[in-house]
Amino acid sequence: MNKFIVLSLIFLFLLSACKRSETEFSFPQKPITVIVYTGPGGLIDITARKFVDIASKYTDVTFVVENKPGSGGIVALKKLLQLPADGYTIFACTKSNISKIVATGGDFYIDAIDWAAMMMADPECVITNRNSEIKSWEDIVADAKEKKGKQLWLGPANGGLDHVTSLKIWDKVGIKAKWIPFKSGGKARAALLGKQGVAYVGNPREVLGNDELQIAAVSSSKRLKQFPDVPIFSEFGIEDMENEYMWRGFVYKKGTPPQIKAWYDELFTKVANDPEWKEYWENGGIDVTYKDAEEFTQIIKKDQADFEYYLQKLGIISNQGENFFSKLNDPQTLQFILIAVILFLIFLGILFTRMSAIKDIGNIMIPIFFIILALLFLLLSFTFPNDEEVGPSVVPRLWIFILIPLNIILLIKAIRQEAKVETTQHLKIIFSFVLLLIAYLLSIYYIGYFISSFLFLAIGMILLGYRKYWIIIFIDFGWLIFSYLIFYKMLYVPLPLGIIIEALFL
Amino acid sequence: MNLGQGFSFVLGWQPILFIVMGVIMGILAGAMPGLSPSMGVALLVPFTYAMSPTLALILLVSIYISANYGGSITAVTINAPGTPSAVVTSFDGYELTKQNKPGMGLGVSLISSTIGGFVGTIILILFSVQLAKIAVKFHPAEYFALAIFGLTTVATLGGKNWLKAFVAAIFGLLINTIGIDPISGVSRFTFGSVHLYDGFSLIPALIGLFALSEIFRQLEEQNFKSKKAELGKTRWPSILEYWKLKFTILRSSLIGTIIGIFPGAGATIAAFISYDVAKRTSKESKKFGKGSLEGVASAEAANSSSVGGALVPLLTLGIPGSASTAVLIGALMIHDLTPGPQLFQNNPNIIYGIFASLLVANLVMLVLGLFGSRLWVKVTAIPKKILYPLIFTVSIIGSFAVRYSFFDIIACLGFGIFGWILRRYKYPVAPIVLGIVLGNIAETNFRRAVMMGGYNIFFTRPISLILILLALISFGWPILQTKIIKSNKS
Repeated sequence: MNKFIVLSLIFLFLLSACKRSETEFSFPQKPITVIVYTGPGGLIDITARKFVDIASKYTDVTFVVENKPGSGGIVALKKLLQLPADGYTIFACTKSNISKIVATGGDFYIDAIDWAAMMMADPECVITNRNSEIKSWEDIVADAKEKKGKQLWLGPANGGLDHVTSLKIWDKVGIKAKWIPFKSGGKARAALLGKQGVAYVGNPREVLGNDELQIAAVSSSKRLKQFPDVPIFSEFGIEDMENEYMWRGFVYKKGTPPQIKAWYDELFTKVANDPEWKEYWENGGIDVTYKDAEEFTQIIKKDQADFEYYLQKLGIISNQGENFFSKLNDPQTLQFILIAVILFLIFLGILFTRMSAIKDIGNIMIPIFFIILALLFLLLSFTFPNDEEVGPSVVPRLWIFILIPLNIILLIKAIRQEAKVETTQHLKIIFSFVLLLIAYLLSIYYIGYFISSFLFLAIGMILLGYRKYWIIIFIDFGWLIFSYLIFYKMLYVPLPLGIIIEALFL
Repeated sequence: MNLGQGFSFVLGWQPILFIVMGVIMGILAGAMPGLSPSMGVALLVPFTYAMSPTLALILLVSIYISANYGGSITAVTINAPGTPSAVVTSFDGYELTKQNKPGMGLGVSLISSTIGGFVGTIILILFSVQLAKIAVKFHPAEYFALAIFGLTTVATLGGKNWLKAFVAAIFGLLINTIGIDPISGVSRFTFGSVHLYDGFSLIPALIGLFALSEIFRQLEEQNFKSKKAELGKTRWPSILEYWKLKFTILRSSLIGTIIGIFPGAGATIAAFISYDVAKRTSKESKKFGKGSLEGVASAEAANSSSVGGALVPLLTLGIPGSASTAVLIGALMIHDLTPGPQLFQNNPNIIYGIFASLLVANLVMLVLGLFGSRLWVKVTAIPKKILYPLIFTVSIIGSFAVRYSFFDIIACLGFGIFGWILRRYKYPVAPIVLGIVLGNIAETNFRRAVMMGGYNIFFTRPISLILILLALISFGWPILQTKIIKSNKS
């Protein structure tokens, strides 16, 4: 045990010695992390990896692509802003991030970021099914007028770029239609192939590889090179659509030193002009237009205003103070209610254990817990906007209204039933293990996964009465090596090193 | 270009090496709670960007197909299903282990997985184009009806405690609504916390509800005896026992493949529904949940065959049917290949290479599994006093690995304690997992269907009507049965 501590201290000291040696400006001196806000395999992930691939022609620095999925990019943005503005972390972003930021009220993110480079733009296009009767743009408009608002347009999530683009098109043409959101563009495309709707909104790349799909119109200032037969919106007298495109680019944290910015500007320009880069994207109908920080920031401001307008119109951002319940939307009130409910449950539990009349506490407390949870969710469901025909509160309330009566039945059964005396009573060991696990979690946060796991495994085995210390040490080291090699090194799982360790050494 | 040429491509030393590597990684990723097939595939995608497209896909497809089998190993030996779809395998598989027959569960799960994998692949090769045409016709109303049908398996799962099983399923459905509403984009029940924007992740919930709650229960029962003594005598299924399962395996493979085809349905629903069907049609339905070989076979054949099904919309239409296939699309795209019907014309070598490698991967999985089973079974011989702390650390690293979030570890522990309390009072936890898996499919398709055609659409479309009626019957029947048995007794 002592040896391990000494060894690990030496190791950590060496590590800190390496990290501290950076002094005057010379960038970059260590690998640069490119954060991708989705899992591997999406278009933005491919963009980041292709960029890394091409960039290696122009610089010797190693890039590490790190996938940090969650909340449409908010999790990844948080991570970016937690790190220092030293240029060693860049973020691959898309226009969807702006929509998400606006929708979640996180506008401060926009000002905390240097919008460094827009690398490319996919024009938005309306896609139809070649085997259906409605193929061309004229067909769509005629059909929409006939169906009087019942025409179905398919696409990905509500409030995203594709949806907002459709809203604009409908406004400009003066037609009405319904947006049916699917889980992903792919699923919506499948529905279009099954003729479940008339049009799909997406990017030109999506018709490639499938003869059954065709583009009815595209939002571009001139006809696309790869699709010379596809008309652009202005040919139908629909103006100002050329700014409806999905951009992808790279950003870093605001406050990054000017020398580093200059280094990036140079690199981004080089990659954007690289023939291989251009060919790869242009083959898919994507416009490789590089925009520098100044122009990019202008675009962002415009996008932000645009999304604010449309998301408010859609009811995704609330229009403040509509009814009594919207007060509940304040996070602090919510957390207060949550804590109050938990305390109430604990109080009930203690009360019941004291009451000698009640013996079967579990079978009484569990239904009560479910009923209170259901009531809490029911209360919260009144805060949701409710102007659609099947709004966000419909399905949760359905489950709530099934859950409550079922639990009332169970509760009545439990009260009526002859009380059973609980059989096994080794609760002490459970409590000590739960406490140990909580300590383990806390220590992962402070001193990192590796040291904590080492301690946890040893204490856990000893607590259970295992006494072969050599085997304990063997398993302990075995697990450390396994988790380090497999998870940390091979799978790039960024196991926490602990905030204390990081503050001291890194 | 045909399958023969596909084989001639796959049967080189390099592709075979990749398949073996892929299968080993798939089994391990599947067995590790927290590393699901889609994650196994996703984690390796970056490495495959540098490979030739066919080799890359061979590797990924091998991982994908074997991970579903891998999930059953930990489900059978320690009741910690490595993948959501192996939850169903644990119902009977872990019971077999408790009865000192881990070999039976492992053996049946391997053979059923292999046959299921073959059936799925063969259907994929023979009928993919025709099946894809049906898949795109599947309306949201039918998806909803399918989800409801899947939910009714709860009635079978619950047995005597069907009311509690039902409560657990509805609880799963309700907590599934936490997060950003997928239809309107409004945030629901998040209590203002960013961590809940995507709701609870399935994997930490799964690990908590199964692996952790099981250890808590064992700790409570002070059950530290390991089965070392009997290890030498572990029984493996005989040929006759396998032969008896032939219809169960075939039927489950067909169910699995068909459900796999519909984009988004997936292995877990396939396993639940096929288990339900097997139990209803079995002569020994009483043994289900108490160590039935048919139960293990139906679950494993269905989840492995769903892989073949899920590749149908991917290869023929370019539409991902599951999380894992979504990752495969990315892998195709980085190599400048666009999945879709034209892939068959422009790059048939890739398509037939995938077909051939699926068949070979199944074979490799069988061989590795036969040797490996001797090894997996030893897990049950590890002293419990060592095993339990280890499972805790594995669970924690597994929950964290899903999206690198500390919150998920806390959620996993929470679900563990909650699951233990529920199981203590005879609430089954599997319906919660089913509720979480089905909740999203049920809700989004319900609302989509209503938006597209009003509330009566569920009854005007024949397939959806039939499925809903079937669901009602299959839900009502077991409950009625228990009532009848009760009244007969008294």
